[in-house]
Amino acid sequence: MEGQLKSGAILISESLNKYRVVTLLGAGGQGEVYKVECNGRHYALKWYFKHMATKEQKIILDNLITKGTPDKSFLWPQDLIYNKIEESYGYIMPLRPENFKSIVDMMKRRVEPTFYCLCRAAYNLTSCYQKLHSMGYSYHDISFGNLFFNPENGDVLICDNDNVSANGLDSCSVYGTPRFMAPEIVKGIAKPSRNTDLYSLAVLLFYMFMMGHPLEGKLEANIKCMDIHAMNEIYGYNPVFVYDPINKSNRPVSGYHDNVLIFWDLYPQKLRALFNDSFTTGLASPNKRVTENIWLDILSNLMTGIVRCPACDAEIFLDESKAKVNVAHICWNCNCTVQIPVSIILGKNRVVLTKGAKLFSHHIYSDYNMNTVIGTVVQNPNNPKVWGIRNMSNCNWTYIKSDGIQFAIPIGKSAPIAKDAKINFGQIIGEFNI
Amino acid sequence: MTKTLKRPGGELSSRPLHFIWIVDCSGSMFGEKIGTVNHAIQSTIPEMVDSAQNNPNAQLLVRTLKFSSGASWVTVNPVDIENFTWDDLDAGGVTDLGKAFDMLAAQLTIPPMTDRALPPVLVLLSDGQPTDDYKKSLNKLLKLPWGKKSVRIAISIGQDADDNMLQEFTGNPELVLQANNPQALVKMIKWASTAASQVSAPSSKPLGNKNDNGSSGKLNGEKAATVLDINNIPNASSIGDKDIW
Repeated sequence: MEGQLKSGAILISESLNKYRVVTLLGAGGQGEVYKVECNGRHYALKWYFKHMATKEQKIILDNLITKGTPDKSFLWPQDLIYNKIEESYGYIMPLRPENFKSIVDMMKRRVEPTFYCLCRAAYNLTSCYQKLHSMGYSYHDISFGNLFFNPENGDVLICDNDNVSANGLDSCSVYGTPRFMAPEIVKGIAKPSRNTDLYSLAVLLFYMFMMGHPLEGKLEANIKCMDIHAMNEIYGYNPVFVYDPINKSNRPVSGYHDNVLIFWDLYPQKLRALFNDSFTTGLASPNKRVTENIWLDILSNLMTGIVRCPACDAEIFLDESKAKVNVAHICWNCNCTVQIPVSIILGKNRVVLTKGAKLFSHHIYSDYNMNTVIGTVVQNPNNPKVWGIRNMSNCNWTYIKSDGIQFAIPIGKSAPIAKDAKINFGQIIGEFNI
Repeated sequence: MTKTLKRPGGELSSRPLHFIWIVDCSGSMFGEKIGTVNHAIQSTIPEMVDSAQNNPNAQLLVRTLKFSSGASWVTVNPVDIENFTWDDLDAGGVTDLGKAFDMLAAQLTIPPMTDRALPPVLVLLSDGQPTDDYKKSLNKLLKLPWGKKSVRIAISIGQDADDNMLQEFTGNPELVLQANNPQALVKMIKWASTAASQVSAPSSKPLGNKNDNGSSGKLNGEKAATVLDINNIPNASSIGDKDIW
């Protein structure tokens, strides 16, 4: 593939680093991306097409480089290659490791994350956008093309951060990507903002969980030619959520929207409710869209609410709404009834205590840190029938028996999972739910 | 350790997107012109495959129609881009463009076209004047539902091409791409090959596009073809010696 820059070309950055062009990696609407080398390390260089190499874009990049990345998951601009006005320029960012795959790979079933890794990826992405928004930025183009995930563990990377700018500023250079753009952008009555990001995030999450689009149902199936007029109608002027509880005109159609029909009922009611809010109230009311912390609360519980079918080992999601009314959990693969194990309830969080289950920092400190493990479910080596929780945190915990007697659970020690017992984690008391 | 059971369901559902190269193989194309066309289109295939693999919304089906004295399908049935190969074309004969439009119309009728697809992309390459009555055939083509909805691009090769006719075909002067030398021809063919991905999964739409009125963010819907990002059409006048491959 031939690009604007030749292999071997040497480029000097504003911070006086010398980058050598290795190869062209790809091209998009705004420019090309190259692999470059500097002092034995490889980076990515985005080189703008001349008509996109604007003064405004340069100002955005200067700001992003100065402020620095909101999180290590962003492939954030870190250096600029700029000669003079009127000439093309580009920026340096970290190179994406090859074990990270695109969401398109998932949509085409070229990679198959487990439900757990899928939930982790969704959680990590949402958390990243939250960090970005908390710095006063908006992203403008959340879509398939600019994020990657590791299907083995749910780690994520977000690229194309050069469209990021302060929320509300009119300096961004993209509207977003069709199918992900909020209806008010499609209709031409709004520009990208934090609230339109929230819409795109909800679309992305729906795609990830349901493998389909939230607005593509009967109305889409009835359209013969999906041209720009049809897209404006479906995604802009007449959007109807496929599971809108009141307007049932756009239900998924068997044969066209099979994935959504298959996946919708596999997830807990609380997740479905967030999609419902996102694509009913949230369609027309940008400032009533589901915010990241609401997603994170549900996604963290989704992650810690997976149980395995005893017959076929399929991952089954605990649905509290079923448990409350004593409706059985049925395996989506083999149709057998799945017993839900004991949980520990920590405020609004629930962790199903299956073998190897983990408690994270977030469960005690409500800090949305779902990476730092503070406890794990273990077997008592002296009595394998007894299961307990091991204290992997930095603080001692207190075990509270049903008769009120208390004793310490020192760091590194474990305490049994027992009916009516509680654990005082310091910041919060966890109760076993048997 | 047992491998976790795969999640249920299948691929994201997609729609077919028919992409048709329509190549003038009349005598005036003989020699370097047809050689460049053969080379350039063949060279675009890997990039089209790559682009299709990154596009979850479309199933890209490609075929070739040639015309000179008469017209015929080089690729008899639509072929998935991953299985598409370019058979070199020879030049000789007259310019029966009307015949090519008739054959296109026959294929854009339902059936054989399915009633559910993305807009077809038709790329016409020509260096001369039609020798038959193409107007009637073109009108017939453009009256078909899929003809009307198609995204049409023309590449005008050399100084003698009938640009008025090509403009009648595209319905948009900006989509008649000028290729007055081999370098320009290669670049225009490459640009046209990206139309499939632009039509099915338009990438982030840059602001300040020539199509935009500056105040509206909506996707411009006046002409189907304007979904293409015409800002990226190579500038023929800027192509010089350094572009020689």
